[in-house]
Amino acid sequence: MAKELRQIAIYGKGGIGKSTTTQNLTAGLVERGNHVMVVGCDPKADSTRLLLGGLHQKTVLDTLRDQGEDEIELDAILKEGFMGTKCVESGGPEPGVGCAGRGIITSIGLLERLGAYTEDLDYVFYDVLGDVVCGGFAMPIREGKAKEIYIVASGEMMALYAANNISKGIARYARQGGVRLGGIICNSRNVDREAELVRAFAKELGTQMIHFVPRDNDVQRAEIRKKTVIQHFPQSRQADEYRALAEKIEQNDMFVIPKPMTQERLEEILFEYGLMENVEADYRI
Amino acid sequence: MAGLIEQERYTCAIGALQTVVAIPRAVPILHSGPGCGVMIKGFFERSAGYAGGETAPCTNFSEKEVVFGGTDRLRNIIKNTYKVLDTDLQVVVTGCTAGIVGDDVASVTDEFLYEEDRPIVHVETSGFKSNNYVSHSAVVNAIIDQYVSRFEQENPSRSEKNLVNVIASIPYQDQFWKGNLKEYKRLLEGLGLKVNILFGPHSGGVKEWQTIPKANFNVFVSPWYGEPIVKNLQRRYGQPYYKFGYLPIGANETTKFLNGVVDFALEQGAEIDEKKARAFIAEEEKAYYEELDNLATFLLEFRYGLPSYVHILHDAGYVTGLTKFLLHETGLVPKEQFIVDNIPAKYQAQVAADIKETSDKREIPVYFDPDAGAMQDIIRGLKHKGRGLILGSGWDKELAAEINADFLSIACPTPYRIVLTTNYVGYTGGLRVIEDIYNTALATYK
Ligand SMILES: Nc1ncnc2c1ncn2[C@@H]1O[C@H](COP(=O)(O)OP(=O)(O)OP(=O)(O)O)[C@@H](O)[C@H]1O
Ligand code: SF4
Ligand SMILES: [Mg+2]
Repeated sequence: MAKELRQIAIYGKGGIGKSTTTQNLTAGLVERGNHVMVVGCDPKADSTRLLLGGLHQKTVLDTLRDQGEDEIELDAILKEGFMGTKCVESGGPEPGVGCAGRGIITSIGLLERLGAYTEDLDYVFYDVLGDVVCGGFAMPIREGKAKEIYIVASGEMMALYAANNISKGIARYARQGGVRLGGIICNSRNVDREAELVRAFAKELGTQMIHFVPRDNDVQRAEIRKKTVIQHFPQSRQADEYRALAEKIEQNDMFVIPKPMTQERLEEILFEYGLMENVEADYRI
Repeated sequence: MAGLIEQERYTCAIGALQTVVAIPRAVPILHSGPGCGVMIKGFFERSAGYAGGETAPCTNFSEKEVVFGGTDRLRNIIKNTYKVLDTDLQVVVTGCTAGIVGDDVASVTDEFLYEEDRPIVHVETSGFKSNNYVSHSAVVNAIIDQYVSRFEQENPSRSEKNLVNVIASIPYQDQFWKGNLKEYKRLLEGLGLKVNILFGPHSGGVKEWQTIPKANFNVFVSPWYGEPIVKNLQRRYGQPYYKFGYLPIGANETTKFLNGVVDFALEQGAEIDEKKARAFIAEEEKAYYEELDNLATFLLEFRYGLPSYVHILHDAGYVTGLTKFLLHETGLVPKEQFIVDNIPAKYQAQVAADIKETSDKREIPVYFDPDAGAMQDIIRGLKHKGRGLILGSGWDKELAAEINADFLSIACPTPYRIVLTTNYVGYTGGLRVIEDIYNTALATYK
C-alpha cells in the first residue's frame, strides 16, 4: 500500500513552544524511521534552527526577492538538517511592512511548484506564527494541504483562550474542507493541576490532550547549543517525553471538528480547576 | 522590475478569464473587484465574448470581503450562476484582493465538485502575479489538472495515433485567434490528422477537452507563451510536442511548418498517408502562388506609391512570423522590430536568432521591451528612406500619422479595427496580410 503523506499544522499562542515542540517531535519521528519536512511559516524564520544547528540562511521569500521566481532552485531554499529532515523557512517581510500572510501563500505555492513535496515524505509540519490571524496564516490548512492540526497550549488562561480561538478557525475550515483537530499538546508551564485542566479543556472541545510535555531546563540547554533535546541529550527524560509524543502522534486516530466554547464556559472550566484563584502561578523553571 | 511601463500591450493575469470565454459553453466566474472585468473589457474593446469581460459573473469583492473574507460571497455567486446560466464548465478566476486576503477558493469549488458533481475549476490569476500571456497557461493547466483529469480512464494517454492538441494563439490577446485556430485545424486535417483545437466555434467544447490525453502529440506554435501547457501534458500523459517558434504566415513558413508536422507525426507513429499529406501541402502552395502572380502586375504598377519598409510592434510570435513573411514574400523591408510582450529573458536569444536567420544580407535590429511607449520614441528618432508602414496596436495610429507612415492595426488594443474570423496564419493568412497592407496604402489615394 502506498504510504500516505501526513501534513500537519501546529498552531498555538505566541511563545508557547510551537517551534521547540515541533522540532523535537520531528526528531522523535525521524528516529522512528520517518521522512519529515518542516516548513516554518513565521517571518522570524526560527522554526528549523534546532534541526539545522543554526538559523536557516535562505528563506523562500528572501530568495524570491533577490533572485526572482524564474531563477529559484529548490536546493537554495530546502536544507537538510538532523538525520535528513528537510527544512524550509518561508520568511517574510520586515516587521511593520508588507503582508506576511500573502508571503506565506506565495512561498507555499512556490514550494509546490518547485516540487518540494516528494513522494518519500511521511510528514510535513507547518509551524505557524501565533494565532490564525488572517487568511494567509490559514494557508497551511487550506484545501489540499494540512488536514491535521495540533494546538500547543499550557494551563495558563491566555494559552487556552488562544487555543479556543484557533479552534474557531479550524471549525470554520473543517466545515468547508477536510481539516481536523488531532489534539492539544500540553507544553507545561508548571501551573497547578495543569494536566487535569488541559485534559478537561480538550474534552470540552471534543478532542484529547495527546501528551503532557513537562517543562525542563534541558530544553534551554539544548536550545543554546542549537539542537533538539533528542539530539543533544538523547538519554534524558525530556528526550523520552518527545519520543512518547512522536509515538502518540504516529498512532493517533482521533481527528475531530472542534466545538469551540463560549468565553463564559471557558472561564467556568478555569474556575473549576482553581486557576482563577491561583494568581501566583509558579513561573519558575 | 523598476520604473513605469507606458502602453502595456497585454493585461494583468486576470485577463486569462478570456481563455475560459473562448471554450464553447464554459463560463468564467470572477472572484475579484468589479473593476477587473471592466478593465479587461476595455482592453479588448468590443470583443470580450459572451459572459466575458465585465459581463462575467463576479463577486464584486469590496472592503467587506477584504476584512471578513469573501468565500461566502463566492459560494453565493456560484449558486446563482447555476440558476441563470446553463454551462458545461465553470472556472473561478481570482483577482488581487481575493489573492491577498487568502480566500480558500479551492475549498468552495470543491464543495460544488464533491457535493453536486459540478464541472468546476479554480485558478489564481491575481493581477500582481503575472500577465495574461503567462496566466493563459495557468488557466489551461488548471482545467487539465482539475477537470480533464477526471476523464482519464475513458481517454487513455496517447491512445489515438492521429489525434493532436494544438497549443497556439491566446484567445482574444491574439485578435485573429478565431481565424488562426480555424486555419491550423483545416491545415492539420488536410495532412490527415485529427485536431483538438480547444478554443472557438470549431472546438467541440468540454467533450473535446476530455480527449486531450488521447492525443499522440501536441502541436505547439509559439515562441514562449503556452510552454507550461505542453510541458504539463508531456509530464502527465507522456505526449511529446512539435514546436514551431513563430506564426507560420505565407507560403515559405507554412510549408516548413506543415512538413515539420508531417515528419514529426510519422516519427511518432501517426497513421497518415505521407504522399497525400505532401500533396495537400503542394496544392495549398499552388493556390497561394496563383494569387501572388495576380498581384505582380499591381505591385509593378504601384511600385513607387507603396510602403517600402516596416516596423512591427507585437508579441514575439507575430514579429518573427511577419518579419520573415514580409521580407521574403512581399519585398517590404523589415527595419527595427519591437517585441513588446514581456517575453522572459531566457527565450529572447532564440527569438533573436530566428529573426537574424531571416536574412544574411540585412541586419534587422530587434528590441525586447514591454514599454511600448519607449519603443514609439525610438521609432520617432529613426530615419529611413521611402514610405514607412507600422504594424501595431491602435495606439500606434498617431505615431504613424506623425511620421507619415501607413498604419495597419494588428494587435491589441484595437479601437480602429473589427476582426471577426480573419486569419493571418497559413497560406490564406499570408494573402490576407497582403490584402490588408495594400488596401491600407490604396485607401490613402483620393
Ligand atoms: N518544555 C519546555 N521546557 C522548557 N522550556 C521550553 C519548553 N518548551 C519551550 N520552551 C522554551 O520556550 C521558549 C519559546 O518557545 P518557542 O520559540 O518554541 O515558542 P513558539 O510558540 O514557537 O513562539 P512563537 O510564537 O514566537 O513562534 C523557548 O525559548 C523554549 O526554549
Ligand atoms: S491588477 Fe488585480 S485588481 Fe487590477 S484588474 Fe488585475 S486582478 Fe483586478
Ligand atoms: Mg515559533
